[in-house]
Amino acid sequence: MKDFLLIIKTEGSVWSDLSPEELQKHMEHGHAYIGNLMQSGKLKNANPIDKGGRVVVEENGVMKDGPFNESKEVVAGYFHITVTDMEEALTVAKANPIFKDIPTRIEVYPMMPIGGN
Amino acid sequence: MTKEINKLVDHLFRHESGKLIAVLTKVFGPDQLELVEDVVQDSLVEAMQNWTYHGIPKNPSGWLYRVAKNKAINLLKQGQAKNRNAKHAAAQLKVEDLQLSSESFFSEKEIQDDQLRMIFTCCHPAITSDSQIALALKTLCGFSIPEIASAFLTPQENINKRLVRARKTLREQQIPFAVPTGAALAPRLKAVLETTYLLFNEGYQASSGDQLIKYELVEEAIRMVHLLIDHPAITTKQTAYALLALMQLNAARFTARQNEQGDIITLEHQNRAEWDKALIDNGLISLQKAEPHRYLSKYHILAIISSYHCTAPRFEQTNWPGILQEYDRFLLIDNSPIVQLNRCIALAKVEGAQPAIETLRAIKGLDNYHLFYSILAEFQIELQDWASAIKTLQMAEPLATLEKEKTLIQGRINFCLKKLAS
Repeated sequence: MKDFLLIIKTEGSVWSDLSPEELQKHMEHGHAYIGNLMQSGKLKNANPIDKGGRVVVEENGVMKDGPFNESKEVVAGYFHITVTDMEEALTVAKANPIFKDIPTRIEVYPMMPIGGN
Repeated sequence: MTKEINKLVDHLFRHESGKLIAVLTKVFGPDQLELVEDVVQDSLVEAMQNWTYHGIPKNPSGWLYRVAKNKAINLLKQGQAKNRNAKHAAAQLKVEDLQLSSESFFSEKEIQDDQLRMIFTCCHPAITSDSQIALALKTLCGFSIPEIASAFLTPQENINKRLVRARKTLREQQIPFAVPTGAALAPRLKAVLETTYLLFNEGYQASSGDQLIKYELVEEAIRMVHLLIDHPAITTKQTAYALLALMQLNAARFTARQNEQGDIITLEHQNRAEWDKALIDNGLISLQKAEPHRYLSKYHILAIISSYHCTAPRFEQTNWPGILQEYDRFLLIDNSPIVQLNRCIALAKVEGAQPAIETLRAIKGLDNYHLFYSILAEFQIELQDWASAIKTLQMAEPLATLEKEKTLIQGRINFCLKKLAS
């Protein structure tokens, strides 16, 4: 088994255009999806990302807050899953019902095992 | 992570949105409605994000109220910080009230009171009726602009304009967030019922629009009348019950009125087994509570007429003399051409097509109304006067606005042509 990090990216303000009914439907679909992943033991952790993200950068030895544009693509949440290989991780990512509701991009990263590859 | 798989009741977000907007409008005032709508939308988005990942909480409504209240308090605090900001001036005054009453803030009684206030605010006579309906759907019923637009088959831009106009009226005319009392209540209640009835008709009107969302409009109209009836401040409930009965008795036939292709099925040809029996029973109970022998309104009359249709086991067994009698009473309170026209249908059933044609031809002011010709044609068909019927239907066809109505008329023309040929 191998661990993967799935990072969900959406446009920042995309939710404000959905109606209450659409938000509820979206929540119910996503909830069922995560429930299935949990039951099959593939999900280790998952969280949505709150508003107010910041960036810290170092320039010429000076630490400062970098620009962070919330109206552009933002990280909406992440999943930490454990599956057999990259192919299965991609299958899990593609099955996310979020694609049906809003423009989304999911990045799939293999996590380096503690004992090395 | 919680592993609870709770289910939400249907339309929970939509209905909680209506409750939250009502309660927060009391805090911020109707002139800050847009701000309130944003707070509520934000709260729903937060619930959606959180519950998707962490499961639905045991008390979803309580969760939403807490988050919405926190957002409201934060906004009010921000308003205090920049106290020269006129936009928040009104809200600032109320920050202490909000903190004091935060526990009882979202009590069932508060919600019920505030929703009633919201109904009367949305249906204030200073707002035009199409804007009233759009505003009620947006704020009380939790519909989005695209949803309202698709229900009305109107561009989103138009709906948005109506909402902007409504909010502007609320601001400029300082419409209070209150239920009128004393002598002012009766005429305002009448106006509220009329708006609710128009909302119902928007949903009920057969069209090629999205049937699902149209039925939701029907349900929302019924829910609004329930809000009125259930509230103790509304002491005279008979007219509201009559409207409720009318809505229930018609809603019971909603799916039977159109086939799968969306073509209109007339009352005569509807499959009565498809009528919602439970809803008809509720409608008949509501009609009793409307006390039709002591009270009279157009809703009473229309509900009684609907009850005759709903309780007839077959079309042929419809109580047409009873219906004609109701139309005669209707003419006493509303002598409009449309009522006269509908009365003719009952008249034809009771006295025959010929006297109905004569009465119908005497009606003034319906020259451009397709149903005037469609109904006349049906009488001519009954008299087997196929040639006249075709001519009449050809007058009706270009006047019909909906494609489905044109299809129906064309079908009748073909029927007459066949008869003429045989």
